[in-house]
Parts: sequence; structure tokens; C-alpha cells
Amino acid sequence: MATKVPLQDPNLDPMIDPRTGEYAVIAPGHNFKSVTQKIAGIVLTSNTPLGWFFGLIVGATVATGLVIGLTWLFLKGVGIWGVTIPGAWGFAIINFVWWIGIGHAGTLISAILLLFKQTWRNSINRFAEAMTIFAVVCAGTFPLIHVGRPWLAYWLFPYPNTMNVWPQFRSPLAWDVFAVSTYATISIVFWYVGMIPDFGTLRDRATMPLAKTAYGILSLGWRGSTRHWMRYETASLLLAGLSTPLVLSVHTVISFDFAVASLAGWHTTIFPPYFVAGAIYSGFAMVLTLAIPIRKFYNLDDLVTLRHLDNMAKVMLGTGGIVAYGYGMEVFMSWYSASHWEFFMMWNRMFGPMGWAYWMLILTNIAIPLTSLWSRKLRVNVAYLFVLSLIVNTGMWFERFVIVVTSLYRDYLPSSWGTYRATFWDYIIYIGTMGLFTFLFFLFVRFLPMIPMSEIRMMLPQTKVDRGGEAEHAIEETV
Amino acid sequence: MAEMKSEATQPVVVTQIAKAKLTLAEVQAKLTGKTGRRFWKNLDELAETEEFHELMREEFPRQAGANEWVDAVSRRGFLKVMGASLALAGLAGCTKQPDEPIFPYVKQPEDLVLGKPMYFATAFPFPTGAVPVLVKSDAFRPIKVDGNPEHPMSLGKSDALTQATLLDLYDPDRSQHVVYRGENSTWEAFQQAFTAAAKQTLGGQGIYFLSETITSPTLAEQWKQVQAAYPQAKLVQWEPVNRDSARAASKAAFGSYVDAQYKLDEADVILSLDADFLGGIAHPGFLPLAAAYAERHRYEEGKPMNRLYVVESMPTVTGFKAEHRLALKPSEIAAFAQALVAGTAPAGATDEQKKYFAALSADLKKSAGKAVVIPGEQASPAVHAAAYALNEALGAVGKTVVYTDTVVPMPSEQLADLKSLVAEMNAGKVQWLVVLGNNPNYSAPADLEFPTAFAKVPVTVHLGTHVDETGSVATWHINKAHYLESWTDARAYDGTISIVQPMIDPLYGGKQAHDVLQTLLANPQGSAYEAVQATARGYIQGDFAAGWRKALHDGWVEGTTFAPKSVGAPKAAGLAAPAGGGIEISFRPDPSLYDGRFANVGWLQELPKQVTNLSWDNAALMSLNTMAKLGVEENDKAELELTGRKVVVPVLVAPGHPDDVITVHLGFGRGAEAGRVGAGVGFNAYTLRTTTAVLSGADAKLTKLSGTYDLCVTKVHNIEHRGAFAQHDLNQPLSDANGTYSLAGHEAMERGIIRYATLEEVKKNPDFAHEGASGSLVNKVGYGVEGETPKKDESFFPDAWNYEKTDPSSLKIQNAWGMAIDLNSCIGCNACIVSCYAENNIPVVGREQVKVGRNMQWLRIDTYFEGDLHAPRAHFQPMACQHCENAGCEQVCPVGATVHTPEGINTMVYNRCVGTRYCSNNCPYKVRRFNFLLYSDYETESLKFMRNPDVSVRSRGVMEKCSYCVQRVEAAKIQADKENREVRDGDVVTACQQACPTSAITFGNINDKASKVAKRKAEERDYPVLADLNFRPRTTYTAGVINPNPELA
Repeated sequence: MATKVPLQDPNLDPMIDPRTGEYAVIAPGHNFKSVTQKIAGIVLTSNTPLGWFFGLIVGATVATGLVIGLTWLFLKGVGIWGVTIPGAWGFAIINFVWWIGIGHAGTLISAILLLFKQTWRNSINRFAEAMTIFAVVCAGTFPLIHVGRPWLAYWLFPYPNTMNVWPQFRSPLAWDVFAVSTYATISIVFWYVGMIPDFGTLRDRATMPLAKTAYGILSLGWRGSTRHWMRYETASLLLAGLSTPLVLSVHTVISFDFAVASLAGWHTTIFPPYFVAGAIYSGFAMVLTLAIPIRKFYNLDDLVTLRHLDNMAKVMLGTGGIVAYGYGMEVFMSWYSASHWEFFMMWNRMFGPMGWAYWMLILTNIAIPLTSLWSRKLRVNVAYLFVLSLIVNTGMWFERFVIVVTSLYRDYLPSSWGTYRATFWDYIIYIGTMGLFTFLFFLFVRFLPMIPMSEIRMMLPQTKVDRGGEAEHAIEETV
Repeated sequence: MAEMKSEATQPVVVTQIAKAKLTLAEVQAKLTGKTGRRFWKNLDELAETEEFHELMREEFPRQAGANEWVDAVSRRGFLKVMGASLALAGLAGCTKQPDEPIFPYVKQPEDLVLGKPMYFATAFPFPTGAVPVLVKSDAFRPIKVDGNPEHPMSLGKSDALTQATLLDLYDPDRSQHVVYRGENSTWEAFQQAFTAAAKQTLGGQGIYFLSETITSPTLAEQWKQVQAAYPQAKLVQWEPVNRDSARAASKAAFGSYVDAQYKLDEADVILSLDADFLGGIAHPGFLPLAAAYAERHRYEEGKPMNRLYVVESMPTVTGFKAEHRLALKPSEIAAFAQALVAGTAPAGATDEQKKYFAALSADLKKSAGKAVVIPGEQASPAVHAAAYALNEALGAVGKTVVYTDTVVPMPSEQLADLKSLVAEMNAGKVQWLVVLGNNPNYSAPADLEFPTAFAKVPVTVHLGTHVDETGSVATWHINKAHYLESWTDARAYDGTISIVQPMIDPLYGGKQAHDVLQTLLANPQGSAYEAVQATARGYIQGDFAAGWRKALHDGWVEGTTFAPKSVGAPKAAGLAAPAGGGIEISFRPDPSLYDGRFANVGWLQELPKQVTNLSWDNAALMSLNTMAKLGVEENDKAELELTGRKVVVPVLVAPGHPDDVITVHLGFGRGAEAGRVGAGVGFNAYTLRTTTAVLSGADAKLTKLSGTYDLCVTKVHNIEHRGAFAQHDLNQPLSDANGTYSLAGHEAMERGIIRYATLEEVKKNPDFAHEGASGSLVNKVGYGVEGETPKKDESFFPDAWNYEKTDPSSLKIQNAWGMAIDLNSCIGCNACIVSCYAENNIPVVGREQVKVGRNMQWLRIDTYFEGDLHAPRAHFQPMACQHCENAGCEQVCPVGATVHTPEGINTMVYNRCVGTRYCSNNCPYKVRRFNFLLYSDYETESLKFMRNPDVSVRSRGVMEKCSYCVQRVEAAKIQADKENREVRDGDVVTACQQACPTSAITFGNINDKASKVAKRKAEERDYPVLADLNFRPRTTYTAGVINPNPELA
């Protein structure tokens, strides 16, 4: 992932590591103390910035829409949405897949990049993981509320009951239950385990009794002993090992919701890889959407550097390419299969009454990002990346819209063709989950260390054993 | 049962033994008829008596013993509650509470087995002839109306309107009281007032009756008696949709009123002149005509097939079943018919019309004696006169058509009568106007200004099931009993008399026209039962008691069928064709609501109309060319004007509609008087209809208004470009398409969903449904190898469902239920849908829900328009759950709520359904219906009576769909088990199959190779829809065969 820059005067940009010619992962000049102070300071400060309150209130207000929407939904039924026959799935499923997809970047960063020893990930993995968890929270809401009788949604779980009835295991929706619940569990555990050393730090630095107690409990008695560190590293590795297949499997299983069905436009073997790539694509876009304002707001450009943004943009370029290949293959196969069903589906998707959605998708997901991300200049242009990340997130939402809606609304029997029109309640619930996400994320940046202090410290040059003498340990500074 | 009921309809006389003891019934009796202040005064006085206190102690010991009773304030409050409950019991509310003390059955009535329905024969009296019905009654509640299988004019078949009369009976908005000047009154009070008034007149002068078409011989008899007693009293029959054209033509041609009875089983060539005889009972004799037509249209090798020509204006199912359909303006139809009589093509005909004319006249001549011409009831008298002449010339009389006495006892030309009545009303000659059953304030021709004349009459009486536009302004309103609550009689198409017997005590104590007329007779309290019996003595031969019982049991009276009447050659009538010119407007009874009388029947409002599939509204229907000419698009709001009268209409395309004609359906645009369902639906076309333009009018204007009105069409919901239909060219241009063809229809042909061939093609290639298409259509997936069900060894799961195995222990043939639907016979009349509504407790969801595509009908009639939309060929395909053997829905349900029975029925376990709707997504036929909201009505009491107790009422969040009437399958199996036998072919009849007038639907055990369904499925023309998906549906379709005239090919 190293970015070679033309040899130029390194003095021009202090962020460029003179030894490698790459953007540094951490700005020079940091030591154990400065890193710890900077990150722990955000959490332990008694001067909460006003902007934080503002953001939290905005998030909470928008999330109120979710509460209102859900209340009405539970009172009236899913008929308040735009779902109908033939389009029996709508925003709820689209949003579910979209949110779950977003979560994938966090897992990829924390698990796969850990295994690949991509140390640049350290600065971003904590909030990427937080993003994963909050995205899963938002995503997990939808399958529960989208069913007609949500109070019976627990029937999808295999639990022993007097009726001796089990879920119907041939249904991809039953697989979803396992995929998503496993994913949520592992993600939370991984996230939490990763934070334990930092909780120790916070406990030790906290001055307020409440914070001391809370972080004390959360740190599970972390003392920073070698034995703790050894177990911590082992646990991290194991969890990374467990999470790695999840990155691939969760969205694969979710793609089965579509691929297993017999509907033209759904029934295709390309879905698993292309869903996973799409998930990572949208996930990285979301990390960018979050990271760019945060590093600005909390002055974290020295820890979340252009190197990170550049790398993430490259991941997007790669996964976006896979997604584009997927779209291309869908179109190709609709012709090559010589199946009228496939052909009509694709024709209708492109030129039918909802063709605009398809072209929106191509524009936002393929045309704009995949042409511009080749340019290094744009990859390190923070403002551009931020806008692009929003575009890609829109595009990925449209992808799910196109898959769910445009396959359903004109299927096999022309007499039952219909359309899909989202209602106010569809929007308020969707936007409400964004509010919930924002709300949770604001709580996270305020009360939890959003960048893993321990891991950043390990990346400092000071941890490298110097041939000339002792490594500068600054354990005392962490205490 | 019938006799039992007759006693129950007698007024209950409360006889009390001990005077000191008071019963609630007595209290009620004392309060009956008291309204407002008088009611409370009486109650207060009553409350002072010792007896009342005694009663209170008995009935409400807790309250009576409590101290509040002494306390004046609480006592007053309690009295209010008490008074309200006394007033309500038995009158208000929808539940009929018996007046007498009730007990559970200690000894069960001999004929009642709880849970086992009983069936009673009766008839639905309709102005075009009675429909003989068999009513299923569960614990004495009628729960299903079907055709009477023993009656030759029904043979067990029924139609949409008759099926829906059940909901009409339980309509919660039916009027429940006699009303006098806005206050509740009683029938006795009315009788008193009416007889007193009548006696004061000079022989009934000033007393006028305005009745709906009298269908009952007994009522006609009663009227004779009334006239004997009051010679000056007058009776006028009038209905907005009537048979005036036929009457006028008959009078002119034969000098008397006769009915024509067509024998389509004898006809090789049928010409319909604007007659929608396959559309429903709006056309007289619909059931026998449809059955005979379909029987002769069924393809069987060596059996001659009939050929149908239809010349019509509004595209109807009859027109689209025709081999050759010609769309003409209403004014041109008469000219065309007269030209046929004359033998020369009509002046100004286009080349296409000339070609049609030549081929048609040649074909009719060739088939003389085996041809028949049917004029439409909404066609002008000139068309009827031409039809008489043509039938005479073709030698049809006595063979394919016979003339008989009229089915209604007192035929008349209704419009002329109404006009003179209104004149007399305006002249102040009318003292009492008694409106029997109809609603002239709503439906009378606009130029008569009937409501104004009505207001001038000193005393007006309205007998009706609803406090409608007329009832709400009448001096007296009398709540009318439904026919399922009444004793009367009526004649069917062939003249056979059926005795209409009540299935239930009048829910709200309603009265009938019999009772109103009886009031003026010597015995004013005489019941309708006695009156009917008195008339029946005239037409029941032999021992009366036995004959009466037999008539009630069979549903018809033997020996009352009309004999053909010799009328001689028709005289040249000289009736003029209606005036044409400009944009013509054509008024039609609505295929679902008829003249508006069914406006509050949700099933019919929601029922997608034939051909247009429009639900919950009417529209200005016109052709694409006319739309372009007038500069309007579908769903546009427009102002329709005829002779200065205006109404705001939405615009809708009717493919195949003639240009420069706008068709509007009557029966909509009712106000709040219509009830909770019918209020505010559609526009009122009666406001345009005048005495000079009753059937059609010329020089109408349509002006586009701003704004749109979203019509709900169930066929293709909310497709943005529906106005222009699909302009997109999918693969290759259709040569003659002009860019206007239906994408859906085009796809249906390409996908092999609809398969048909001409008679010639079938003869050449009997296996056409599997090997190649007819005509110029390009095969995409439909036919040939690609469109077929994959062979079992091509599947990963070759033996997933092997239904062919037999049970080795008993050597029983395992039941494997299946259905076959003959597309040749399906006429798209919608009877099956309404039957399904009643059988399966299907909820009505309302306009807004239908608009977004959430209509709940388990069964729908898919209508596809093939070819150019200016003159398309339409195909009807009933589509319900196909009960696939490899059902996609079952595999994807995460909770196993939809599963397969060993007999191959795909069942829904409602209790297990959590509502993921995945099953619907994976269903290629999209036949599953989801309760997106709480659609079932759990509140309305009267509707609870109506529900089929064998079928659960589905709640919110649950998927539902056609179950192959599994409750009927199980009932048949239980019966067979009891009799220790196999279920025989024909034991199970699904609701749709039972209703189908043309027997298009066959159901049974496909493992029983001798069964009808197995035989149909063995035919070469049998094909599954979407076969190549390998869902292996249990419902298959028999490809259609048409018999076109080679000259017109």
C-alpha cells in the first residue's frame, strides 16, 4: 500500500516521510505521551466542545423520526410503507442491505488488514469498527420491523418451544438470522476486546470518580502486564481470524436472499462476490464520510493522515472495479443466457419506467468514482474525497434499490406488473436510522477512545529497538 | 324451514299472564313508536310504577339494590343508559336480538346440525329475469349464494351480482327503521296513515305508486286487487336501466310486448348487435346464454364450433370473445343493423366495415336457420326492430330464437310512463307518491328534474333498503326487506316461476312491496307469505300442499315455463336510428354496480371491471384516437358536457373503443346516502342523462381541466406511460402496431402465457400449444422446447414430489388435487371472483389500497390486449395460486408458514406467518395477497354473520392466497370417510368452479385418470403457464381455439 511520490524536496510537506517518500501514517514529532494525551484528552476533557452537543442533538432529533415512524408502523402495519404486490420488499430491505454493507469496511479493516499486518489501519480501525456496530444496529432494525407481525419475529430463531416448530432452514432469511447475529456478536466482542488496553489508560487518567469507575469496570482489570498483552494479542488474532470469513460470508448470505429466489434479476450466481465487493466499497466510502469531518474537527490530521485517505480511496477503486465488473457481467449474461426473462429484466431495468434509477446507479457508483480515483491528486484531495464518499454511498443505496425494486415490479406475469412508490414513512424511517447512527457515533467519539491509543503507540518510532541503546519505553507515561 | 320461517315473520304478540309482572319485551312494546320527548316521558312514567321496580330488581339486581337508585341524579343517569339500551335492543345495532327469552338448544332442532350447513332454493328477483339460487345457510345465517343446480336456467351457475347480494343483505348501512319526517316511527303508524288517507280519496285518486320493475306475479296480482279497490290509483314502473328499446320495438313489430328467448345451443353463427350477453345478468338470460355459447364454443374434434360476431360500441367481454368484433358508434350500430336487413352496406362505411359487412351477411345467409341475431338491451329500438327482421329472414324464429310472454308480469315502456308521472306531479295531481324500491331522485333523467317534482308532492313514501337520495327527503321512509328476507315470486328467463323464500328473519324488520300494497286491501295485515300462496294456488298444479313444498324445495314451479308464442312476421317498424354527430356519448349500466343499486357493496366496488380492470370508480372511456383528438391523457380530469349539463370525469382508455364516442357507466357518484362504501365513488353520469339521450347522445363535449385523478386499474398499476401504453419496441417492430400496443399483452403472447390457435391451425396441428405459435408472433419462451416444463431428469431434485405413488397398504389412489381452466370457455365475467370473496372471507381494502396494488382478491381475471390497441384481440385468463409442485414460495419462507400437503395443495398456515413477504417475491404468478394493514373488519357486527365459519379471517401482517378451497376438499374427504369410500370425482367443487357460468374451471384428483380434470389435463391443448421455470403448477390452462371466418382472416 505504499504510495510512491516523485522524489521532491521532502521539506515541502512535513507529512511525507523523508525515509520512504510516502505520506506518514503518523505525523512526525509524536511520542507516547502526546498520542495518549491527544486521544484520551478528547474523552476525558471537561470542556465538551459545543459542536459535539450540536451534532448529538441533530442526531437525536433525526432519530426521533425513527421512533415516530416505528410507533406508527407498529400501530398500523407495514402498509404505511410503499410496499405492495408485486414489490413486496422495498425500503426496509434496501436499507438493511445498505447498512449491513457499510458495516463491512470496519470488519475488513479490523480483521483482514490486521492479519495482513497493514499497520496503517490502526488509526482508523476503532471508529471503523464502531461504524460497523452502529451500522449493524441500524441494519438489524429493518428485518425485525419489515415483517408483517414484528411481535412474532423471534420465530425466525431456532429456540426450543412446546410446538416443536423450527425455522424453515431452506430459507435464506433463516440464514440471514445466523449471519447477521453472528456478525453483530463477533463485531461487538472484537471491538470491545480491542478497547480494553485503552480503557485501562482512561481509567488511570480519569479524574472524575464516575469516569474512573466506569472505565475501571470496562477495563476488566487491565494492568498492562506482559501476560495481559500476550493474551490480548492472541485474542485479537483469534477474533480477527473469526471475523475474516465473516467479511465474506455475511454479505454472501445476504446476497442469497436474492440469488436463491427464482426472480430474473435476483437469480444469479454473481451476487455473492459482487455483493461483498459492493459492501466493502460502500463501507470505505462511509469510513471516509466519517473520518474526514472528525479529523478536521478534532485536529486529528496527524493521526489520520492523507496516507489513510489515499489508501482507503485505493480500496474503493479496487472494490468499485469489482462492482463495475459485476454490473457488466449482469448485462452480458442477460444477453448471453439467451433467456427472455433475463433479457427483458435488463431491458426494463435500463429503459423501463424506473430506468432513471439504473442510470443514477451507473453514474454515482461507476462513472464518477471509477474515473476520478485513478488520480492521485484527487485521492489526497480531502474535500473531493468527502463529496465522493457521499456519492458512492448514494450509488450503493441505488444499487440495492435497483436490485430489489426493478427486478420485482415487472416480473414473469405481465398482468401483475406494478410499480413501487416510497411513502413518507419509508423516508422518515430510513432517515431516522441515519439519525440513530449519528447519535450513537457522537456518543462514541465523546465517551470512547476513537483511535486506539495502544496501537498507535506501538507504531511510534520509539517502539522500534534502537541498535544504539535501549528502546525508549514510556510505560510510565501511559499510567 | 320455509314454513317455520313464515310463522316467525308474524308479529310477535306479547301476552302476559300476571299483570304485576313486567317483562323487558313489554317495556319495549310500551315504548315502541315513541320518539324524542315522548319516549323519555313514557319511560319516566313507567319507571314510577311498581312493576318496573320489580323488573329492575330482577334484571339488574346490583343496580337496583344499590343506593344510587334512590339518589335522583344517579337514577336519572341510569335511566338514560337503560332507556338507550331499551331503544336499541332489537332495532338499532346490527345484531338481531330476539324479543323473547332465549335458551341454548336443550333439544336441538331436528334439521340443524351445528357446523353443518343447510341449503335452500330461492331466487334473486332481477328486472331482467329471476336468477335461481341455492343459498348456503349456516346456523340459519345465509353465508353463500350460488346458482340452483336443479334449475334449468342456472344449472348451479351464478354471476357476480347475484353472488354479491349476500353482502348486500348484511350491508351495515341498510336502513333499519321506518322514518316519518326524520323521526323514527313504526310500520303500524304508516299503515294507519296510509289507509286513512286512501279512504278519504275518491277511489284512490291522487295515490300514485312509482315502482321498480315488478318482477313478481303476486305483486302484479296484488296491484290488480288494489286497482279494484281504488280504481283511480296509478302505478308507474320505472328503472333507470330498463328494456324500453325491446318493448318499443316489440310493440311496433308485433303489436304486443314479447320477450325473445335465444337458443344458442342451436346456433352456428351468432351476431350480437351491441348485446353484452356474456357480461352478466344485465342482459336477460345471461346464465343460459353463456352456458350454451361456451358449450358450442368448446373445441372438440368433429364437433362443430360456433362463430360469434359482435358489433358494439363499448368494448365488452362479449366483444372480445367474438371471432370478429366491429367497433361502431351507437348511432352507426342501428344503421349497420338496418343495412343488414336491407342487404346493402351502410352508407359511408369504411372499406374495413364494408368487408366485415359482406363477410357477415354471407356467413349469416349461409347459416340460415342456424344463425341468430341478438340485440343489446342498451341498443336503440331500431336495432331491436332490425334484429326481429333479421331473425325472421334467417329463419331463426322457432329454432334459435323463440318469442314468449314477457318475464315480468307488467311490461311497459317505462320512460314514457315516468314522463307523464312527473307531469302529473308538477300539475299537483299527485297527493301520495309511494316509491317502491327505486331511487328516482338519484337516477331519473336530469331534464325531468324529478327531485323538484318530488318535493311538490304532499306526502311521499319511500320503500327502500337504504335511506337514499329519495328516502332521505321522503315524508315516510320504510325500510325494505332484502330478497333473502322476503317471500315473493319471480319468473326466470324461460318463464319458470320460482318462489322466493326467506333465508333469515328480516334483520331490521323490513317490509316488502307486498306489504305496502296489502295495506290498501281488505286484510291490511296479510303477510307476503299468504299473498304468494294465494297466487301460487293459480300456478301450482295438483295437490297444493305437496306442490308448494316441492316448489320451495326445488326452487321452481313445474309447468310454469313459457310456451313459445306465435307472433307472426314482424312488421317493418320504421323506428329511426338514434341521432349521431360530433362526439357521441353512450350510457351503460356499470358491469359491477348495475344502475347504482349495488353502490354500497364493497365486493362489487372493488371488483375490477370487465375489460378495463378499473376498480372503485367510473371514467369517461374512449379510444386512443379520441384521447389524442381531445388532447387528454389517461387520468386527466376533464369536464364532460351534454346539452348544457356538465360533470367532471377522469379519462381512461378502453382499447377497442370506437373513435368519437365516450362511454360512461351509470351507478356512481352517490352521496353520503349511499353508505360508507358507496359514498363519493366516481361521478354521477345520471346528471348528463336526459329523456332524449337515455341510451346515447350526440354532440358531447369534453374539455380538459387542470389536475389529474388517479384511477385505480388493477391490471398494470400506476405505470407512468400507461396513457401511451408501451411505445417501446422490444425486439422488433410489430408491423401494424402504429406504436400503440400493450407491452403487457405483447409480452403475454411472447412468453406463452396466452396460447391459442384458429380452428384451421388446430386441425393441422393439434399440438399447437406446445410446438408453435399461431399467427406472426415470434416465439421467445412461450412455445417450443424452451417454453416447456423441464423433464424430471433435468432437475437436481427429480423425485422431490412424487404424487403418483399409491399407498401400498390400502391400494388407495392418493389424491392429487389439480385444476384445469379452459381459456376457450372463460368469458371474463367475474362471477368466480365474487364467489371467492364470499367463500373465503376476503376483505375489501378500499380505493387507496387498490390503487397501490394491494387488492386482496385471491383470484383475478388477467386481461391481455393483443395487437394494435385500436382494434385488439383480448384474452382473459383466470389467475389464482397455481399450487406448484416445486413451489418457490415454500422454499423461501423462513418459518415454514406455507407448506405442501401430501395431496399437493400449497397451504398457508396463517397462524405461523410472520409476514416476510418473501414468498410473494418468489412467486412468478404473483398470486399471493398480503394483509399490509388490518383489512378484515372485526368490528361490524352484521358482517360477522356473513362469514364462512370454515375459513379463518386473516389479520394484519399475514399472507394469504387461493387454497383450492381446502375447506371444501376436507369436507368432501370427511364425508367420504364416513361413507367408507374414496372421494369421487365431482365431490369437491371449488367456489370459483361452482360459480363459473361456462364451466371453464375443472377441479379434481389428477391421479384418478377417469376424472374430468385428468382428462382435460391429458388434452394436447393443456399447458402450464411459465412452464419453463419448473415450478410445475397444478393449475393448467387449455389453449383457446377460435373459429374465424376465412374471408376476414
